[in-house]
Order: sequence, then structure tokens, then C-alpha cells
Amino acid sequence: MTDVDTGLSSTQLTLSPEEHRRLRRRYRRRTTLTAYAFLGPNLLAFIAFLLIPVVWLFVSTFRTGGVLGPAEFVGLDNWRDTFADPLARTSIRNTVVYSAMAIPAVFVIAMVLALALRTISRGSALIRVALYLPTLQPAVVAAFIFVFVLHPDFGVINYAIRGFGGDPINFLGDTSLALPTIAGIEVWRGTGFWTMMFLAGLTALPSELYHAAEIDGAGAIRRFVRLTLPLLRPTFYFAVIFATIVNLQLFDSVFALTDGGPVNSTISVSLYIYRSLFLFGDIGFGATLSFLLVITVLVLTGLQTFLLRDRK
Amino acid sequence: MPRTYEDETREVESSGSAARSGLPASRPAIALSYVILLVGVAIALVPFLYVVSTSLKETTSLFSYPPDWIPSPIYWGNFESLFADHPFVWWTFNTLFVAGTVTVLKLWFDTMAGYALAKMEFTGRRGVALLFLLSVAIPISALIIPLFFVVRYLGLLNTYWALILPPLANPLGIFMARSFIVGIPDNLEDSARLDGASEFTIYRKIVLPLIRPGLVVLGMFTFMLQYTSFIWPLIAVQDSERQVLAVGISGLQSAFLQDWGLLSAAMLLAAIPITLVFLLVQKAFVVNDLSGALKE
Repeated sequence: MTDVDTGLSSTQLTLSPEEHRRLRRRYRRRTTLTAYAFLGPNLLAFIAFLLIPVVWLFVSTFRTGGVLGPAEFVGLDNWRDTFADPLARTSIRNTVVYSAMAIPAVFVIAMVLALALRTISRGSALIRVALYLPTLQPAVVAAFIFVFVLHPDFGVINYAIRGFGGDPINFLGDTSLALPTIAGIEVWRGTGFWTMMFLAGLTALPSELYHAAEIDGAGAIRRFVRLTLPLLRPTFYFAVIFATIVNLQLFDSVFALTDGGPVNSTISVSLYIYRSLFLFGDIGFGATLSFLLVITVLVLTGLQTFLLRDRK
Repeated sequence: MPRTYEDETREVESSGSAARSGLPASRPAIALSYVILLVGVAIALVPFLYVVSTSLKETTSLFSYPPDWIPSPIYWGNFESLFADHPFVWWTFNTLFVAGTVTVLKLWFDTMAGYALAKMEFTGRRGVALLFLLSVAIPISALIIPLFFVVRYLGLLNTYWALILPPLANPLGIFMARSFIVGIPDNLEDSARLDGASEFTIYRKIVLPLIRPGLVVLGMFTFMLQYTSFIWPLIAVQDSERQVLAVGISGLQSAFLQDWGLLSAAMLLAAIPITLVFLLVQKAFVVNDLSGALKE
């Protein structure tokens, strides 16, 4: 083995600069080919199921028809219709309000649970499994489970309210309560996921800094605010981006529970897009709404990246 | 010597949790933590009691007040009806088959792509990385209309392909795989390269074994996303026999007017396979932080 090594190095030393450049270029070309072979399956999936659909959406925002008859160019009509459509505006507002309720709530609860889990050692594995069970359920299943929990007659919450002498509340039938209730169900389902995510982030933090902070006399709350939160920035960055993308797509639970009601108080952008695909013969409107959702998520995540990413 | 999954797990289990990061906790802090966690566990689990209880009751006896938790006599008719009158076995098989296939393919493709992005110097690397990064932020439910037409154009509506192929475009796993691979010291691959190993051999023989703990978590994450996915199967598949659990279950409710007993039986059984999978891999969860994916 050692013989081969010495042989190699002596030939390399005799390369002229030009030969060296040529070999380098050949090596780079070969690496590039290999790299694209490795990227191939993902690039193909990207082109077929992301790039083409997004381009198709963009083109469709300027066209009408296309399902039964041939498509026709209509300029900005779809955009005007979408912005003028009161239900489109309601769906956008509901989706944003829902996300603004669900995301901060689930983050705070999950952070508290993660800190508690980090503090204990005995029974931690069992508690983690129990907390994660809701996360393993499809959103429609979580939604149906909460029909029981929230039921005006036999739900446990109204049972408790009646026990204290109050009147039962019809959570999903009330226009001002339905959307917060849907958000609450998602918080129940998402807590396990974010608890694990935050716990993994906390576990990875360097303990030396904490010892130093304690010697300096920093209390628990001060250590959390000054050390833990800033150190967890990469975790929060991922969490905020991922939660925004997922929550702005609210669909499953409103589809299963309320179908947008009562009185459109829970109609979401995705539900409206879904309806437009099957109820209207015209896809221009749905495409415009979809494209608007794509742009919104891109802009929001871009903004979050700008605000939260580690500065070099 | 690179650390293995077993090493890390052992460390997590042997060292008390508090010592890992932060400080040994005080007694009141531990007590408070247990109180908080027990409340959390209760809120997480109590709703499931409804499902178990309701699945064992006849729907006509459901709406009694006050509600009785323990059904007497125990009624098995909901489970019988689920198997006799509904393609529940097919839904379960389809879900496991599709989620399993997507997970295996995704792990394979994403680790390949992650390896290229992490370790190879090639023309267009920044461009490709940026393209994938931008596509992380594209919401799939905004693409259902064009995806429907693409899949219809390919003649794949109502097939397993319709359920398996589009999720392969989700780029998040690429970045997670890349973040695992970046941590592998370069000299490990370089020495293999000097021995004449091809890139594919390096990927298979060196990279994959080293990132196994991360792959367990990424695999679980992918499997869970697929197991719970709803809007795309709802659109791509029409036949009930070819449908997945989530959509099948939601159909039970709308088609058979509020048969809560039947619905609960279905939800209970649907939760079993994914819970088993999670129990198998749950130890790996705390050790591996997926959020490293979007760190630059």
C-alpha cells in the first residue's frame, strides 16, 4: 500500500501547470455529472410536481375556462374578480386569524412542556409518548375526536360548565367561537410535535454556558431569556417557517367539521380553492386564489428568514 | 471514531436529563415540572377515552346523560360493521403501502441529493440549493388544481402512483439529510476516494451508515406526514377501495349520517399502526434535532 502512495505523489509533482488545469477541469466536469445524477430523482420530481404546477398556476391566472371548453386569455379579470370577491377576502382573513391564534399558542405550550421534560428524568420516555399521540393522528381524526369533547350534551367541557352552573356552549355552531375552536384542536394535535422539536433543541445546548451564568448569579428566568431563547434561534427559525407553511394551508379540520360554516366563519383559503375546483367550471378563479396563497407563503417565509436567521 | 446512535442514546439515558444542558434542577422545579407534564398528558389522552368508550357502544345508546364512560354491555358491532360494510382493510393497507413507499423513496433520494449538496463541488450548486430552498415554501394545497391536471394528463388519477409521486417533490428532507451529512468529516470520504471508491460506494458504504440515527427521525417524520395527509388523496383518488385511512374515515361521517360508534371504531384502529411505528423509533427523537436543516 505504501508503495502505491509514493508512486502517485511523484507523478503528481511532475505535472505542468497546463496539465494540472486540464485535469482539474476534467475532474470538475466529472463531479458535476455525478452530482446531477445524485440530484436527478429530486430534480425530476421538482420539475413535474412543483415547477410545472406553479407555472401552470401563473398562466391560468390570466385565462378562463379550460375544464370543458378551450381556455381563453382574459388579462387581469381573474385578479380583479378574486380581490373583489367577498368570500375570498373572508377566507384569507380566517386563515390568517387562525394561524395567528394557533401558532403562538402551540409554541408557548410546547416550550413550557419541553422545559418541564428537560427538568425531569424519571418517566420522561413514557410522558413523551403520551404527549406525542395526538400528533400521530390525521387532522380529520383529531377534529372528530373533538366533536365528542365539545359536544353540547355529552362533551366533557360542557359537562364541566354545567357542573359549575353555566349554560352549555355550542363551540362549533357559534360564528365567533368556531374558528378559535378549530385553532384549539390544531394546538392539541401539534403540541406533541413542537414539544419534541424544542426538547431536541434544548438538549443540544452547551451546558458550560449555563454553569458560567449561574456563577454570575443569573436566575432561572434570566438564564432562559438571555441564554436559552437566543441559543434556540435556529430551532425557532425552523419552527416559525414550518408552522407558517403548514397552518396557512388549513383545510382538513374545517372540511370535516364545519365545511366553512357557520355563515362562512371558518372558510379557509384552501377550502375555497378546493370548492372552486369542483363547483365552478372555471379554473381561472381557483388558480388565482392558489397563486395568491403561494405568493403569500413565499413572502411571509422570506420575511421571517430576514428577521430570524443567524446573522454572520 | 464517529459517534453512533447507540452511544448517544446511552448517554441520554444514563445522564440525568437536567445535566445535559442547563443545571441540576431543584426539588420544587422538578415537582412543578411533573405537575405541568401530568396536566399535559391528561389533556393529550382524555379525548382518546371518548374514542375507546364510544367504539364499544351502540350508537343509539350514545347520547345518554350523564355520559357513562364504561359501556355495558360491551358492543362489538361497530368493529364488525367496519370490516363487513366498509373497505377498512384496504384503507389500512393503502395507507401503509403508500406511506411506506414514499418514506423509503424519499430517504433514498433525499440522502443522495443531500450528499451532493453537502460534499460535492459542482457547477450550479448554489442555484440548485436555492431552488430547493424556495420550493420548501410552496404550500401543497395551493397546487392541488394544477397537480390534479398534471396527474390526469399522465393518466395516473385513481392509482397508487397518484398518491406516491407528487409527495416526492417535497424538498424539506433534502435539507435535513444535508445537515446530517455536512457533519461527517471530509477525510473519511477522501481516504475512501484515494482507495478508488466511487461516489456511490462512498455514499452507500460510508455516508449512509453514519447518518442512520438522523434517518430514523427523518423517516418517521416523512411517514407521519404521509400517514396524516388528506387533501391530495381526497382529490387524486375516487374509488373507496383505493383510498387512504384519513379520507376513508372522513367519508364514514358524511356518507352514513353521524354513526359515531362506527367512526370511533375506525379512528381507534387507524391509530394503532402509526403508534407502533412511533414506539419503535421514539428514542431517536430527542437526540436528533431536525431543525438544523435550515441552518446555513
